[in-house]
Amino acid sequence: MAVFILRRFIISTFTLLAASFVVYFGVSISGDPFEDLRGIQDEGDAQIQIAARRELLQLDVPVPLRWFNWLTGIFRGDFGLNIRNQDVSALLSNAAAATMQMVIVATVLAIVLGVTVGIVSALRQYSGFDYSLTFAAFLFYSLPVFWVAVMLKQYAAIEFNNWLRDPTISPTVTVVVALLAAVAWQALIGGDRQRRLVVSITSFASTAAVLVFFSTTRWFADPGFGTIVVGVMSVISAVVATYLTAGFRHRPPLQAAGATAVAGVGFYLVGGPILAEPSAWTLLGLFVLGIGAALGIGAGLGGIHRRQAMSASALTAVLVSGVIFMDQLLQAYERFFGLVRGRPISTVGSATPGFTGNFWEVGLDSISHLMLPTVALLLISFAVYTRYTRASMLEVMNQDYIRTARAKGLTERTVVMRHGFRNALIPVTTLMAFDFGAVIGGAVITEQVFGWQGMGTLFIRGLNEVDPNPVMAFFVVAGGSIVVFNMIADIAYAYLDPRIRLS
Amino acid sequence: MSTNTEGPPVTRDHEPTQVADDGMEVIARTQGQMVLRRFLRHRAAMLGLGTLLFIVVLAYTSIGYGPFGGWWDKSFLRTGTVLDGGRPTLFTEGFALGEHPFGQDNVGKDYFALVMRGTQQSLVVAFIIGIVTTLLGTLIGAAAGFFRGRTEAVLMRITDAMISVPTLIFAAIVAAVFGRTGIVFLGIALGVVTWTGLARLVRGEFMALREKEFVEAARAIGTSNWRIITKHILPNTVGVIIVTATLAIAAGILLETALSFLGLGIQPPDVSLGSLITEYQTAMVSRPWLFWWPGIFIVAIALSVNFIGDGLRDAFDPRQNRVRD
Amino acid sequence: MSMSDPAHPEDATTTPPLDAVDGRTSDELLRVEDLTVSFPTDDGLVQAVRGVSYSVREREVLGIVGESGSGKSVSSMALMGLLPKSARVTGSVYFRGRDVLQLREKHQRALRGSRIAMIFQDPMTALNPVYSIGDQLAEAVLSHHTMPRKKALDRAAEMLDMVGIPQARERLRNYPHEFSGGMRQRVMIAMAVINNPDIIIADEPTTALDVTVQAQILETLIEVKDAVNAAIIMITHDLGVIAGIADRTLVMYAGKPVEVAETGPMFANPRMPYTAGLMGSIPSLEDSTNERLRPIKGTPPSLISLPIGCAFEPRCPLSTAECLETEPPLTETDKPDHVAACHHWQKLAAVDDPTAYFRTESEVGR
Repeated sequence: MAVFILRRFIISTFTLLAASFVVYFGVSISGDPFEDLRGIQDEGDAQIQIAARRELLQLDVPVPLRWFNWLTGIFRGDFGLNIRNQDVSALLSNAAAATMQMVIVATVLAIVLGVTVGIVSALRQYSGFDYSLTFAAFLFYSLPVFWVAVMLKQYAAIEFNNWLRDPTISPTVTVVVALLAAVAWQALIGGDRQRRLVVSITSFASTAAVLVFFSTTRWFADPGFGTIVVGVMSVISAVVATYLTAGFRHRPPLQAAGATAVAGVGFYLVGGPILAEPSAWTLLGLFVLGIGAALGIGAGLGGIHRRQAMSASALTAVLVSGVIFMDQLLQAYERFFGLVRGRPISTVGSATPGFTGNFWEVGLDSISHLMLPTVALLLISFAVYTRYTRASMLEVMNQDYIRTARAKGLTERTVVMRHGFRNALIPVTTLMAFDFGAVIGGAVITEQVFGWQGMGTLFIRGLNEVDPNPVMAFFVVAGGSIVVFNMIADIAYAYLDPRIRLS
Repeated sequence: MSTNTEGPPVTRDHEPTQVADDGMEVIARTQGQMVLRRFLRHRAAMLGLGTLLFIVVLAYTSIGYGPFGGWWDKSFLRTGTVLDGGRPTLFTEGFALGEHPFGQDNVGKDYFALVMRGTQQSLVVAFIIGIVTTLLGTLIGAAAGFFRGRTEAVLMRITDAMISVPTLIFAAIVAAVFGRTGIVFLGIALGVVTWTGLARLVRGEFMALREKEFVEAARAIGTSNWRIITKHILPNTVGVIIVTATLAIAAGILLETALSFLGLGIQPPDVSLGSLITEYQTAMVSRPWLFWWPGIFIVAIALSVNFIGDGLRDAFDPRQNRVRD
Repeated sequence: MSMSDPAHPEDATTTPPLDAVDGRTSDELLRVEDLTVSFPTDDGLVQAVRGVSYSVREREVLGIVGESGSGKSVSSMALMGLLPKSARVTGSVYFRGRDVLQLREKHQRALRGSRIAMIFQDPMTALNPVYSIGDQLAEAVLSHHTMPRKKALDRAAEMLDMVGIPQARERLRNYPHEFSGGMRQRVMIAMAVINNPDIIIADEPTTALDVTVQAQILETLIEVKDAVNAAIIMITHDLGVIAGIADRTLVMYAGKPVEVAETGPMFANPRMPYTAGLMGSIPSLEDSTNERLRPIKGTPPSLISLPIGCAFEPRCPLSTAECLETEPPLTETDKPDHVAACHHWQKLAAVDDPTAYFRTESEVGR
């Protein structure tokens, strides 16, 4: 397996090298690098400037040789100078951090959401949920990214911020949203007519109640969970985690997950001081500690169902950590709201200039900047993953070994989660590699709409000015991360499919 | 809207159904007829086809194309007086187009004419991309899949190298090189960087098919490679190729609009749907229609083509929609 | 759910105690009554199974023979509850007196793989490629019994050993792709018997295998069946397999049984022209008369629009006007346990070689 992955890695490095030449060559011949200087009135001044630029960009050297010089520079960590005589390495380090953050968040969210929704869609084939999702996926495929981005900027940022001045929900909106929720839930849960009716009514009533509550308490002006909600959500997490990993046939996994949830809430109640002003490392440490404790609880309470109990409680720990994280973020909201003068959803840049605060406030600030570009970037990938996972899952559920699994007398949950899901993921890993490149391409566009000084700007400006070095810097980071992502996909593939792993 | 492919049976009178004397129904259909029948029953695809045809006819007849004049009297290049703040007149006085159905921009150009021109140019680019992609992808994929060995190695390394770079990046570079030479060259150049996906699919199909018995049989009786490829293998991959070509057109529309947004696509004074949105994105608040119309046309075209592609896929390969027995 | 060793399967299910049902003989294990299965499709309702009734006794081997599409596999999938949701199933399947089709999903599942096990046609695809053999075998045990995983793996090794896989314990760690087709089918057999089932449904278990391996697999199956005291429903289109192992045989045609009898008498004296036709279409080494094979001409009818009369009528050399009008019921023939659905079974009884009816057809036809 190591040989397989290493081989793929070496091959992709070489293909990247070849591609880098094509890109360098393309940019170099794409236009006139002196275009902006041609307009200068003073003939002599223009000549001087042109000569200076010719010197700077080594335009007298043949393109392949320039590419070679650039390449040797890369190995020394030197990305060269741009057309304005600035060091590209310095420009790159700022740009890359912002862009990669967005790209990675979008990719991870697209995979998690897309795969989940795709599986559910496949299991509910030909239901209302499936049809709506199919339509949504096709719509997302067909939307120009920047058109969506401009709309999000207008409606989800500017208008939403305006609305926050008086965050009440009108009765019409309440009814419409509650109706939509009713339709969605009954389609999702399915069953016979009576069950659908019960589900519809329940979800209509509860959605409406929540919205009225939000409206009257002006929750959106200062959102927060509070201890009770954290407790309830932790218990729900335990139940969901148990359902997904072990089912309810045996007691111990549920007990372990429940104990984990209780421990999590316990920590939430007493651990306030630690959580108040943490560093990212503290949080990461706590998270790892939490998972470890959960595994311990699972092992201790699991008995002969130790394996399932451990996975149930570990998943519970992940979910509960998420709940607590959200809660802490929202606790910092009020101060953050003041710091950004009541306009929390940002439309420009990747961070508020000069913003300082503790971990949670900075976190809120970068979330508020990341959110919309990420959503715009996410839509297409989400649609791709949904469709692909759905197709893969349908294919897998028609396989003979699924019939064998049913014939063994396994529960439908085990058949779907253990035999279906695992196999359906195998082709999805190959999609990961392709999709990541597309997301990087999309990021170039979203960055422009939201005014980020990211890698996309580096690329576009370089291309327009016939300036290869910034373009190549973008290319190295983009191509390099694609190679790395390919490798992750290969490892995931090999992990999932023993036929690869053992060959 | 749904994409139901197994809806209630539709009455069809053209079906080659014979009722034999013994009371047994014999339904004889060729492969092509079955594909066509399934495609015609795909409601979303039919709706997409209708929408697309409507848009094509509207775009090319309204302001005309090349030497052919159209029924709409305003040019997309001519400025004029801005009437009523440039607001659209469509359906404002009953079921009528009015003076400027899609409104006017800030220098008084008729926005309907502009959007029609943009649609024309976007469609041309998209179709050229689709054709070039299909030809290249099929050719390269077929050669790689059929000949194996060194041919395959070289072709697939090229494909891999191209796939390892985001399409948009290559597209932006070729657009920067060729974009100023006109839309035909732009389309061809973009086609040259988007064929990789199809090539891989066709290669896969060829690799599977060349091992099949019927190819072995053809080879055993001394059939030439060319004839095996064109008469035996290619017809079996036509489904994959047609579907991918369709989807390539949808992707082409979006690629062109994205490049226009980056200033690399069709150059002024000519317009495409993408360049219209880009030019008027700041008008979102003051004159939202300048933003909405081209966007709606892009989405309508891309959505229609995608649905047609989905219908074709279901028609050629109905496996996914059939309940297993 | 109380539990113990899988060697004592009685307590493997949570179902209530068994009551004797009227008409059930003491050693009757399974009785299928008037089972029908149909699938709605674009072209109409496919009547895959149109009223099948039979019974299986303890430790018996019942053969079900028929062409593809005769409903033999679908009927067995129906009694396992493995048909897709779109299938419409009616009739009853009594397992030890309880109607399996009426049971709640939970109780049905408790029977599946535990009391009623199944072996499928294609061992290459029937095992999940991403889990080891040991995992998949242990899973079969653990889904019906609560025990430590290690004990389940012990049981798996024991079963692999029983079906003739050498170094069973080491091979538990192997994945399906590391086994040959014959070996995988042995694994499937091990998986089927791992919970000591009462009945094993073998759906064309040897069709996908090499001829030399086929005999070994059948032998293994019979050995294992005797070891766990199970009955077998052997579904096949291969009369050779039936002749080799089946105690009784049921012949299916167009979704219905057309002849049921003990295997020996049926092969000697078929009472339904279809059965006779099947026998005429097997080549025989002993036959020195140099005769041509006698295939049955034509194809089975479409299951969407079946003829009113006998479904075999269009292909039958004995057909008369009566056959066109009425479908013959399954009735007793010259022997009490020999039932057949033919208006003209006496004509077959009257001749020495019933396959001869197909001779003129095929030989004149050329």
